[in-house]
Amino acid sequence: MHNRKWWIWIFALLCATLPACAQGNYEIQVYGADTIEPKSTMVELHSNYTPDGQKYMIDGVYPTNHQEHETLEITQGLTSWSEVGFYVFTSEQNGHGVQWVGDHIRPRVRVPDSWHWPVGVSVSTEIGYQRAVYSPDTWTWEIRPIIDKYLGRWYLAFNPALERTWHGPDVAQGVGFSPAAKVGYDFSKKVSGGIEYYADYGRLGDFYSLHNQQQQIFLVTDLNVSPKWEINIGVGVGPTAATDHWIIKGILGRHFNWKKESPVD
Amino acid sequence: MTVASAALGGRAQQIAPADYTIDIAAYALEVAPRRTIKTIAYNRQVPGPLLRFKEGQPVTIDVTNQTGSSEVVHWHGLFLPPQVDGAMEEGTPAIPAGGHARYTFAPRPAGFRWYHTHVFAGKDLHRGQYTGEHGFLLIEPRDNPGHYDQEIFLALHDWDAALLASADGAMDPAYNVSTINGRVLGFGEPLRVKAGQQVLFQILNSSPTEVHWIALAGHLFNVIALDGNPVAQPQLVSMLRLAPAERVSALVQMNQPGAWVLGEVRKHIMAAGMGIALEYAGSSGQPRWDQPEELSWDYLRFAASGQTAAPVTDVVTIPLAFASKFAGHGAMDHWTINGKSYPDTDSPTLTEGRRYRLSFINRSTNDHPVHLHRHSFELRRLPGRPETHGILKDTVLVDAQTQLDVEFTANDPGATLFHCHQQNHMDAGFMMLFRYA
Repeated sequence: MHNRKWWIWIFALLCATLPACAQGNYEIQVYGADTIEPKSTMVELHSNYTPDGQKYMIDGVYPTNHQEHETLEITQGLTSWSEVGFYVFTSEQNGHGVQWVGDHIRPRVRVPDSWHWPVGVSVSTEIGYQRAVYSPDTWTWEIRPIIDKYLGRWYLAFNPALERTWHGPDVAQGVGFSPAAKVGYDFSKKVSGGIEYYADYGRLGDFYSLHNQQQQIFLVTDLNVSPKWEINIGVGVGPTAATDHWIIKGILGRHFNWKKESPVD
Repeated sequence: MTVASAALGGRAQQIAPADYTIDIAAYALEVAPRRTIKTIAYNRQVPGPLLRFKEGQPVTIDVTNQTGSSEVVHWHGLFLPPQVDGAMEEGTPAIPAGGHARYTFAPRPAGFRWYHTHVFAGKDLHRGQYTGEHGFLLIEPRDNPGHYDQEIFLALHDWDAALLASADGAMDPAYNVSTINGRVLGFGEPLRVKAGQQVLFQILNSSPTEVHWIALAGHLFNVIALDGNPVAQPQLVSMLRLAPAERVSALVQMNQPGAWVLGEVRKHIMAAGMGIALEYAGSSGQPRWDQPEELSWDYLRFAASGQTAAPVTDVVTIPLAFASKFAGHGAMDHWTINGKSYPDTDSPTLTEGRRYRLSFINRSTNDHPVHLHRHSFELRRLPGRPETHGILKDTVLVDAQTQLDVEFTANDPGATLFHCHQQNHMDAGFMMLFRYA
């Protein structure tokens, strides 16, 4: 018992020395290049639970262990090549109840289909605030290039995101590199499976050591039951010390079309 | 007696000059100001030259293939032997890259037909029917009544395709440009008519994959023939629906002087260019378009009334079930007829002189314009409708998840190809051969 406490203290000390290990476990998603059609809205609920995560309060930030994150994402299509998304982040945890965490806004543009690029390409930029008890960096900005490609039954997506803290301990860090990637395979028209990878390597040109990087690998399934619905379920592991060890995630999305359907449109 | 041959090589061309020549070559089609489509065309024009044949009078056409790939020219809607029909699956020789061929045949039946390439395109959306390789072919009857003052030929086509995800989960071609006679609305000369004229419109949908709906603002179409075959009951309609490879012959009484638009009823396709101005003599200005709010078309409006004069009882029914096979969200579906994809599809054996009923059972979520080579068929039953007769066609659109029956008489021995006329479907297995005993 005594030995176990000793290890816990060592682990807590290691985490405390990490450069702001704020994990974005509110919206765990590798973006595809497509945007939402104009006059339509996608409403998504991202539900993420951390069965085994950070167990200690560090720098005034609540531990992630046993946190349940519910994120409401509302994306409105603007044109055939642009959209804007809004996020409301919440967290539920024993002893803290349901708490509002923060809000983000994410405009996105994509390469129009008429350009006939061999891959789907879009760029999103996300600006937002999160309370300091959930992330030491309260104001953050992200630019996320998105590249994807369908190859028969295979789907590949890569999001080499760059992050910048505007307010918080990482302001001095500069631009951080947080790539995400997905490899999917269509088992049938309705069921796809795949692997998603999320990471935070730290500052561009001066990455953290592997030990201190955030790395998450998710085994996921996408259920394409209807064009109106989006269902993504996954379980992830964080093999590095700076990452929550187990996370379960789910995305339930519903597509609403506000266009008055006409046969001659 | 049918005269037919498809000779390859130069020797045949030295024997006698051909009646017509067709050069298949690369062509830059100017569809709009500062908008050029690099394609392949017949005689460097889109559509290709209008060929007018006399019914039954032998004709010789020399075809030169100046492209880097094999080609073949299919004479769509004609009753020709398989060696010259223009489908390699039936036995017509391919025209190799840089090669030439001579087609000799006695054209029949009379009516509005067309000719087009019949090669595999697959994922190459710049080949096959995605190109400008199509042209009008009119077989004039021996006695042409000619109850019209002017004849106008129009080809509907879609260009600049890319594969995009569709609602059914597979990739399908989608187009950036849609044209009539190779030009977008507002580019090129308008159609010119005179008040009081009766104009015969010969309209062809040469699109590789798309169904089109056409209206002429301010006017009605009097449909007199479908796929070149006179209909039992000509009818006035406000719009036409043409699936890929279908033709409509319609008379229009020019009694509304002014400038009008003839174009696609659906707004996004007209916005992509599918329209053409029509001007009465002495009229000018911005052509007017009256936007319809509904789509309306029914084959049965043109059917004969009453029962068939002498119903054939000894009809052999051949059910043909169409279905798709998922190949991934990043691929086009594969297609099957009775569970098999070409070249593994069944080849039913026909007996000459016998009447056959083809029951098209479309189990897929796509509509299919199916085409039978070298024969015409009669529409016999449309979904949810009683038996019918009097409409002869060579291509018919079978709506998704419905059944449609046609009948034909096996009267033209030889391998006979049947397929969906959507290029992406026929390339992905939606094809079969009938053989004669």
